[in-house]
Amino acid sequence: MSILTFLIPVTLCMGAIGLAAFFWSLRHGQYEDLSGDAERILHDDDAPLVPAHTPRPPVATKETTK
Amino acid sequence: MTGTTTQSGTSAVAGAVQVASGPLDRAQTRASVHANAQGRGTVILSVPGIRCGGCVATIERALRQREDVVAARVNLTLRQANITLLDPDSDPMPIIEALAKLGYAATPAEIGTADDKADPVGKNLLRSLAIAGFGAMNIMLFSVGVWSGADGQTRETFHLVSALIAVPVVAYAGQPFYRSAFGALRLGRLNMDVPIALAVTLALVLSLFETMRGGEHVFFDAAVTLLFFLLVGRYLDHLMRERARSAVTGLARLSPKGAMIRQNDGSLAYAALASVSPGAILSIAENERVPVDVRIVSGGTDIDRSLVTGEAMPMAAGPGDTLEAGTLNLTGVIEAEALRAADESFLARMIEMQSAAESGRGRYVRIADRAARLYAPVVHLLALTTFIGWVLATGGDWQTSAFVAISVLIITCPCALALAVPVAHVVAAGRLMREGVLMKDGSALERLSEIDRAVFDKTGTLTTGMPAVVSVPDDAAIRSGARALAARSVHPAARAIAARLTDLPGLVTDETEVPGFGVEAMVDGRRARLGRADWVGEIADISQNAASPAFAFAGGTAVSFDLSETLRQGAGQAVAALTAAGIPVSMLSGDMESRARRVAGELGIGDVRHGATPADKIETLETLRRDGHLTLMVGDGLNDAAALAAAHVSMAPSSASDAGRTAADFVFLRDNLESVSATWQVARDTARIVRQNFGLAIAYNCIAIPLAVAGLVTPLVAALAMSGSSILVIANALRLNRTGKSHPTHRAAPITVQEVSA
Amino acid sequence: MMSNLTGAERTTAMTIAGFGALIGLAMAAAGHGDPMGVHGWIVLAFFGVLFFIVASALYSPEPVEDRALSYYDDPTKVGIILALIWAVVGMFMGVWVASQLAWPDLRFEGAWSGFGRLRPVHTSGVIFGFGGNALIATSYHIMQRTSRARMPGQISPWFVLLGFNLFCILAASGYVMGVTQSKEYAEAEWYADIWLVVVWVVYFILYMRTLSRRNEPHIYVANWYYLSFILVVAILHIVNNLAVPASWTGAKSYSLFSGVQDAMTQWWYGHNAVAFFLTTGFLGMLYYFLPKRAGRPIYSYRLSILSFWGIVFFYIWVGSHHLHYTALPHWVQTLGMTFSVMLLVPSWASAGNALMTLNGAWGKVRDDATLRFMMMAAVFYGLSTFEGSFMAIRPVNGLSHYTDWTVGHVHAGAMGWVALITFGSIYALTPVLWRRETMYSWKAVEWHFWLALSGTVIYVFSMWNSGIIQGLMWRTYTETGTLKFSFVDSLVAMHPYYIARAFGGLLFLTGACICLWNVVMTILHVPQKAPELDYPTSSEAMEPALPAAE
Repeated sequence: MSILTFLIPVTLCMGAIGLAAFFWSLRHGQYEDLSGDAERILHDDDAPLVPAHTPRPPVATKETTK
Repeated sequence: MTGTTTQSGTSAVAGAVQVASGPLDRAQTRASVHANAQGRGTVILSVPGIRCGGCVATIERALRQREDVVAARVNLTLRQANITLLDPDSDPMPIIEALAKLGYAATPAEIGTADDKADPVGKNLLRSLAIAGFGAMNIMLFSVGVWSGADGQTRETFHLVSALIAVPVVAYAGQPFYRSAFGALRLGRLNMDVPIALAVTLALVLSLFETMRGGEHVFFDAAVTLLFFLLVGRYLDHLMRERARSAVTGLARLSPKGAMIRQNDGSLAYAALASVSPGAILSIAENERVPVDVRIVSGGTDIDRSLVTGEAMPMAAGPGDTLEAGTLNLTGVIEAEALRAADESFLARMIEMQSAAESGRGRYVRIADRAARLYAPVVHLLALTTFIGWVLATGGDWQTSAFVAISVLIITCPCALALAVPVAHVVAAGRLMREGVLMKDGSALERLSEIDRAVFDKTGTLTTGMPAVVSVPDDAAIRSGARALAARSVHPAARAIAARLTDLPGLVTDETEVPGFGVEAMVDGRRARLGRADWVGEIADISQNAASPAFAFAGGTAVSFDLSETLRQGAGQAVAALTAAGIPVSMLSGDMESRARRVAGELGIGDVRHGATPADKIETLETLRRDGHLTLMVGDGLNDAAALAAAHVSMAPSSASDAGRTAADFVFLRDNLESVSATWQVARDTARIVRQNFGLAIAYNCIAIPLAVAGLVTPLVAALAMSGSSILVIANALRLNRTGKSHPTHRAAPITVQEVSA
Repeated sequence: MMSNLTGAERTTAMTIAGFGALIGLAMAAAGHGDPMGVHGWIVLAFFGVLFFIVASALYSPEPVEDRALSYYDDPTKVGIILALIWAVVGMFMGVWVASQLAWPDLRFEGAWSGFGRLRPVHTSGVIFGFGGNALIATSYHIMQRTSRARMPGQISPWFVLLGFNLFCILAASGYVMGVTQSKEYAEAEWYADIWLVVVWVVYFILYMRTLSRRNEPHIYVANWYYLSFILVVAILHIVNNLAVPASWTGAKSYSLFSGVQDAMTQWWYGHNAVAFFLTTGFLGMLYYFLPKRAGRPIYSYRLSILSFWGIVFFYIWVGSHHLHYTALPHWVQTLGMTFSVMLLVPSWASAGNALMTLNGAWGKVRDDATLRFMMMAAVFYGLSTFEGSFMAIRPVNGLSHYTDWTVGHVHAGAMGWVALITFGSIYALTPVLWRRETMYSWKAVEWHFWLALSGTVIYVFSMWNSGIIQGLMWRTYTETGTLKFSFVDSLVAMHPYYIARAFGGLLFLTGACICLWNVVMTILHVPQKAPELDYPTSSEAMEPALPAAE
């Protein structure tokens, strides 16, 4: 089954990508409040959340509410 | 409500949450804001009332609408709100007030909670688990291929690839076990991780050797799958402890983190506890706890020392009196001189005694490690015997002999044995948590199941610490007057009177509260006093040795209110249940003999020790220990903290002092004392399941070992046998959840906001 | 639609369309006399129409308000409509080919209308046309809502959606002309495959960019399911379609692999397509719309994450169970079988998680046909994954393989799981998307539900019966050791079931038509409702909307 010498590395690579993605999510606090995160999608919100990378004064964010 | 809630908790009913607003609270709350890297302020509020996604949305929406809030995120799991403030110097008090208006009591969370939340150990375990899972999955693919008949070149390639995956995986994911095993060996001990580490290593080495040799059987999958299963157990165990820990820290602190210090210019300034030096003059407002040991310089007040000494009834204090750290100032503002620095105060001495007392418990060896001490030598000897036997039988074929001997070690690797205990404990912890009991770690459950004696503290444990009026005066005018005055004071005795009397209160004018003495006012035009008997006696006739509190109209005859303690709900049932199960119950109180005897009599406790100092309490428990007793201590006060640590196992209510909650193995959140007997029952159930699990593991070994010794174990057999036995053990542990439903305790009583925040 | 694009964006769109049209022209010229030439004209027409649409609105008013203040829903809306159109077309093809099996005269003597050519039109039409468009549209919706951010750019979402539809058109039209590389679910030829790779890469970049702009720190689990769908399908598609064109001016190509190696690659692809196209993507849909519609969080969020990783890891090697009793080495077959059986655990975890979410909201399930669609989808998911694991066991497969049982199993999954969850999601999504108070007709939704359910049940039961009868007839021997039934005998025995199947399919098709009608009527006739709380949070990254394709 020479094809497996091709398919197995491809699959292992996909697994490794998955593992890397999991580590990324772990490092970025994706599992710190699972019960809260499950609930959040139920509450659509129009109030601004500040993106983590750029804090800004709240005055600028108030306007976003239509 | 930091530092100010009385032991019973101020009212925290949704929609009507009171905010603690003493100067110390304001200062402390303000000190809880920290500047972050972007120059914003951050504060973490503990909001125990968050129950669902709706609360999350409400709170976040409300907070984000505020001008002073940049960002707010609620963590439903931890019940915390993480708030970024525009200005690092801004005061979070208005935010707390806004939350209170929504019906959520909030207090600044412990400093350092933000770091704790990251939980590095848990993340590390999870990472190891992911690595082991990835390795196990992929190696299983190759193993299944080989077992299904891949041979020749393919098999050798598969073995090689498996080796390439297995070696780094074991090197990374095996670390927790290797470290623990080395630690034990260095101390000359054996624990469960020693045979595990040895089996995994040998499996790996043997498989590497076989791979190089082009052999037929490799155990890479067994080694990695084993690690995976064990890491699952370890991670769940960690998760359980972490959850209990964060829940306990989530309970509001009772001891203050700082003090208001009178400056030279007469103003007040907040100082952190560590920087309060002896000689400093502190201002302590009503409803605050005394931060360090002090002597009152000016002002009079009533104090509640129930958490400190176990005395149930409030008492008056005035200039010259010394107050221990942790004492609750009830009625008046006092100025007091610090006698000792925080780390030498009463509180610190108690914590010192507690850590001294704890060392005794260090001798306890967990059941799994006890099993390992028996198990490891037997198994290793067996492997050696197998090796020698095979060498003799095969006439010196040491390769085959080594293979068989190592496969004995692999198949007997105590995977199921190592899972037998933690999984049962995790399930039990989940069940306890649903019943409002937090469990610090699994060993507590083991110890609780062994107890043969229970010792209860009185004040705050068997009783609620709130006094109640025993008898009501006959004179309606007196009842009306007393109720009118009682309603004007926050003194616990006054509250008890106001709660008991139902008459229409008289019209009160011109009222004054004299801290340490009582309330005086004109009731329906007549001067009246409610308070200390001798003080009331100044304006009225009073008998000698009349009890306090007393009430009288000027010139009239004083009436004394007889106060008694209220028993905690379920106290009788808990004591009865333990006694019925053959566990003698004693009471160990720091309070006066009469009060101790009265409560003991009501509950049917025969063995009573009263007036006990913290040292006496430790001594009592040490004596019990020396006599060979395994004692459960249930207590709440600072004075109990050391005793809680000295006991074989301990429990505290959520209303306990900070030190008491830290020292106790279990913290129960519901007011009902039946939690004690219910927890004990769970501990017994768990111990039974653990014993069954050990039985299963041993039965498994009885079948597996002869096969292994006979050289019949292939990697496939090993994989099936080990996963099978692990799953069996886990499934058996899950039964604990079901038995939980068969005897429901007081599940009807929900844990209220009040209980958690008090 | 055009009013949401700035002048610069319209120019860019025109450039892309013009470029596409040129390629079409080149293909038409180079492939003259070959089906590739016809495809060239199709491409030219497709991009020509797009060019004309954009050009005609080039100077119409530009958007005035800040676009970042709202979600970009135009592509989602078009995607939903396209999905429903493809559903009707694809299912019609299904009913037609099913009827051809019962009544062969329905071929009408055309070369193009033979079973072999129409069947891939049906499969690609429903899987890629209906399923793919629904996945793309719902993923646009979900990734924006759960990230609380608008998609980056205005053109890349259109590029992905329309580009994917061009692929579907090329595929379907090619089959009718006899263009096929004879790989199931991957019949389209090399140039269509290359085009799909381009589209898919843009799709992946678009998704990642949206996530990177998110204002909600947590990435909701549905996004993980969608991402795995996009990423793995890209890899599978590339590997399975590695082929050498016979000439650059013709449609014909030859696979890079041969014989059993090619078969292994095909089923490695084939079953992973089931996993990552027909399962994880739709599970993403389920994990968003089911809790949303039921108004309660998923029963165990932790379990939804765990079963994600379980499904991702277990599915990868199950493909070889399609090749039991073939030239494939025995151990590779066993490998596929073993993993197929183990796959049941994460699959049932997902199905159980979905049903436990509804536990306590059964009143809603009873009253709300939309929720009932989702509930039945979860039930069928559980049933067909169990059936799949069972059929992967070699001896069982010996009976079931090459029979209609397999067809029944596939349709239990495709109709019962994939289509029902999609219809449920569309009914949940339509009022939100078009800001309508409600669907035009709830009665029609109710009708659709019962038509779809009875259609599925009739279909699946008839195929179970015929499949097992077929399998047993094929392996019945006489006392002398010869086969008792000829192939034609078994065919005769199938006839009633084939009629039943065509009828079940017809019911299902009718339901899909009702759905399309209902959605269109909702858009046209139901009054607008001012939306509450359905806006993204403002993003700092107010970047110019450049299409990712450039």
